[in-house]
Amino acid sequence: MGLETIQLVNFLLPLGLLVFAYLLGAWIERRHYRDILAREAGLRSFPVVTFETLPDNWQVESVELVSGSVVISLDYFKRVIAGLRALVGGRVKTYEPLLDRARREAVLRMVEHAQANGYDAIANVRLETSRLANSRGDGNGTAGIEMLAFGTALSLSRR
Amino acid sequence: MRYVPRSPREGINVSDEHPLKEAAVLVVGLSFLFAIVMLSLVFIVDLVVVAVSPETEARIFSGWTPGGIVELVDDDSRQRAVAGVLQRIETGWPDSPYDFRLLVADDDEPNALAVPGGVIVVTTGLLDKVGSENELAFVLAHELGHFRNRDHLRGIGRGVALAIFYAAISGGSGGADIGIAVADLTLRQFSRDQEAAADRFGLELVQAEYGHVADSWRFFERLRDTEAQPGIMAAYLSTHPDTGDRIEDIRRYARDSGWSTVGRTTPLDW
Repeated sequence: MGLETIQLVNFLLPLGLLVFAYLLGAWIERRHYRDILAREAGLRSFPVVTFETLPDNWQVESVELVSGSVVISLDYFKRVIAGLRALVGGRVKTYEPLLDRARREAVLRMVEHAQANGYDAIANVRLETSRLANSRGDGNGTAGIEMLAFGTALSLSRR
Repeated sequence: MRYVPRSPREGINVSDEHPLKEAAVLVVGLSFLFAIVMLSLVFIVDLVVVAVSPETEARIFSGWTPGGIVELVDDDSRQRAVAGVLQRIETGWPDSPYDFRLLVADDDEPNALAVPGGVIVVTTGLLDKVGSENELAFVLAHELGHFRNRDHLRGIGRGVALAIFYAAISGGSGGADIGIAVADLTLRQFSRDQEAAADRFGLELVQAEYGHVADSWRFFERLRDTEAQPGIMAAYLSTHPDTGDRIEDIRRYARDSGWSTVGRTTPLDW
């Protein structure tokens, strides 16, 4: 067990971790997208809109604030690739599907909640993101991102 | 107003490029970039080293001993004998601009160092292990080869360049690891070439002093017999040539030069 063995381990260990993180992350992402698409198809007829002022012909019976929230974290592969990307700049493509999934998942949770409670639509939908600092407490690094979707659920007598 | 039910459109917020493609482009591209930066730094360092004359080097490092890097011992009874061998070997390099000094360091690992200012450090581990004066002579002559090629200054210059490079890219976080790996591997290749050049010069000095090169690689054979054989990958990572390859190279050089590999060797009586 010489110095060279240690160097070899130092070289191969992150590489193995990278491959493992990629395979697992890609599998989870594929599965999640399948799930999102199926749920979106089922909720297609439920109106989710961003306007604040309702059309005059909407007869609103009751309202409620509804929200859906997701907390996501990065896998090692995405983090490493994004770190390399940070050196040269450009689209951080590995993060895009992650945030896309988070947005759609948050909206889906909100809509599912509204539908389960008998509402007909959600108006004034907003999306917000906040960064969760990690446990190191030095303010650097990110433990994850929270994606929050919220809006006003409406129960309509006529539309 | 009419609500038209439809699913969200795809391909707006998410790139359809495969993540592995992006990874490959970034890793290959940045490795290439880092290698170029590192090679330019090495080139600049070499220019600077050539510009520093041995006289200037001696002035800068006069009175300086590497006590900070190694633990020196000044009461080793073998030091005089080793210095004597060095003095005789040195005559094979008559236009040497250095005034060499020999120091002994307390370390069980057999090693020899060329330190700026004409200082050669040998470890007690090396002195314990050498079997004859001829073996020792080649090790010392090898270090003289480093001085002749100014490798000792290059080593320091490259260390500084590597440190600057590291500081520059670690600001960008994630790329630091790959940058260091590339820079390190680039430097190691250079380092192996330097070792081979020093071996050849060392062999010339030994031939000039003894009239044969017998026992020159005996010390490396000793090391090879005790060390574990590294794999291909480890050989690529190493700063020194693989000991087996190195012995082979030295042998070939001696044969091509027509030097005798047998002759009377002088035993060490300590």
